[in-house]
Amino acid sequence: MDIRIIEESVFKTLMILSLTTVIGSLLVVIGVILWRGLPVLTLDMITKTAEGGYYLGTGGGILNAIVGSLYLAVGGTALAFIISVGIAFYLQNEYSGGTRLASMTRLSLDILWGTPSIVYGAFGFMVLMQLNMRASLLGGIIVLTLLEIPIMTRAMEEVIKTVPQELKEVSYSLGATRLETSIKVVAKQAFPGMITGVLIAFGRGIGDAASILFTAGYTDRIPGSLFDATASLPLAVFFQLGTPLPQVQQKAYASAVILLIIILIISITTRLIGKKYTKYIIR
Amino acid sequence: MSDTHINIQDFNTYYSGHQALKNISVDIPKNQITAIIGPSGCGKSTLLKCMNRLIDLTDGATCSGKILIDGEDIFDKKTDITDIRKKMGLLAQKPTPLPMSIYENVAYGPRIHGTRKKSKLDAVVEKYLTMVGLWEEVKDRLDSPASKLSIGQQQRLCLARGLAVEPEIILCDEPTSALDPLSSQHIEEQLLRLKKDYTIVIVTHNIHQAMRLADYVVHLYLGELVEHGLASEVFENPKEERTRAYIDGTFFTDLAIDKEINLKGNVCPYNFVYAKQALHTLEKDDVLRIIVDYPTAVTEVPRGMETDGHNVIRVKQINESDWEIIIQKK
Repeated sequence: MDIRIIEESVFKTLMILSLTTVIGSLLVVIGVILWRGLPVLTLDMITKTAEGGYYLGTGGGILNAIVGSLYLAVGGTALAFIISVGIAFYLQNEYSGGTRLASMTRLSLDILWGTPSIVYGAFGFMVLMQLNMRASLLGGIIVLTLLEIPIMTRAMEEVIKTVPQELKEVSYSLGATRLETSIKVVAKQAFPGMITGVLIAFGRGIGDAASILFTAGYTDRIPGSLFDATASLPLAVFFQLGTPLPQVQQKAYASAVILLIIILIISITTRLIGKKYTKYIIR
Repeated sequence: MSDTHINIQDFNTYYSGHQALKNISVDIPKNQITAIIGPSGCGKSTLLKCMNRLIDLTDGATCSGKILIDGEDIFDKKTDITDIRKKMGLLAQKPTPLPMSIYENVAYGPRIHGTRKKSKLDAVVEKYLTMVGLWEEVKDRLDSPASKLSIGQQQRLCLARGLAVEPEIILCDEPTSALDPLSSQHIEEQLLRLKKDYTIVIVTHNIHQAMRLADYVVHLYLGELVEHGLASEVFENPKEERTRAYIDGTFFTDLAIDKEINLKGNVCPYNFVYAKQALHTLEKDDVLRIIVDYPTAVTEVPRGMETDGHNVIRVKQINESDWEIIIQKK
């Protein structure tokens, strides 16, 4: 048989194998979590805060962690968005074309992206100590913001780069400034992709445990102000799995299911919003 | 000759070392159609891009010399670039609607220049869509995406969008090269109608189009200004040999071809090498016809041949995938 045909089929098999690994592991992860989590997922879990301590208490639910996680992730994502949009637009050629500052920014973002989140956590903790503050919602939000900025910025920049040069030229040729072009043309064309960037960063933010371990703390209550410590879902899973009590360990899977569902809901709704705006996009 | 609208003086453009325009000095007359002609890669589009300073967006491009519009130097540091661009509508090679509705596309320019009132914008949109003959076709679906229009309609929309900022000059960069013959005709008719109110500069490598439209012709070759003058004079009695060759080249019909080679399936640089070998076997002034199907070859082979001093007579697409390149040995 022709060697080239054999090559072809070997590579095809390898590719299919890689594909099935990805899809397969996703299905297994979801399957195991649902199988362990669904039986313990009661209404109480999502409507009550923890009772009897989050570590050893068997009563109540994890409402404190759900609300805490949403506060943290939404706050962090919103702050990161404000900063990332600015950076991503600045990295366009018109503003920073070929300058040292641009390449320095890209390098810093890549390094920040690769920094383990526990390092962010340790850094945030140190700063809080210096400021004589305790672990708080605000501290958690700020650390998550730092964590999300590189992810969001790089994702947005990639999308903004794909906006055809001709579109920008048209806008400039009509006498638009760089800002007008960025907001009215580039952002419009790149909108769905930018939403995806926000979503990826949100997913990373809501799922991260290490960075908020020291900065947001953990508590049984729903935080009443930015300066209160707050619970979060990833840490709920972490603490619940770590207890010696089997009933509490079980609840960890329910917490994981809830985390999954939140991410799913957010993904689907943002995608729907994004879809609404793809109507005018030039392909 | 009527008044000068755009006055270009000793103008040079460099792309990171490579000189794309060499000492261009030419006056572009007001309220006439000026065609810039010349083979691919001769700097036609670059010159056009300099006129509205879109060249600023190209990395590594530098310019020297002056371009005066209504006597104002557009490369002067004190000049407000958005004002300059507002004076000029641009019609690009490929129709490029903005990612918004038909209405918003036309209203985009007036809106950024300060027209906010809905009734005023409505009037502007209707006026310019009517002017380009698109109003009747789209008046019931002004809110639908501009990208849903046919290519020909899109190009007319782009023209309307350019006109809506009330420019004095319309710059066209091969505006019909992506269009079907009927849509092209539409655009050409529009341009002829518009010239009484606007100064029009059109870049084209279609000599027939230049003849149909132009009052004034500028011929560029490899970045140099070869000849410029009234269209009637340049086309009928070119002063320069190179202009004559260029105009005649496009009219060649029964060319005595001395050798023909088929280079389909070859990629660069092999098709160039084979073509060179084939030329080597020929006598001076003999004509070689080569067929290529590799897109890069379509531009690179003629450029290489011209660099070697041969005369590229014709580059033409003959079917879906194939191009013919006719070269005369020098």
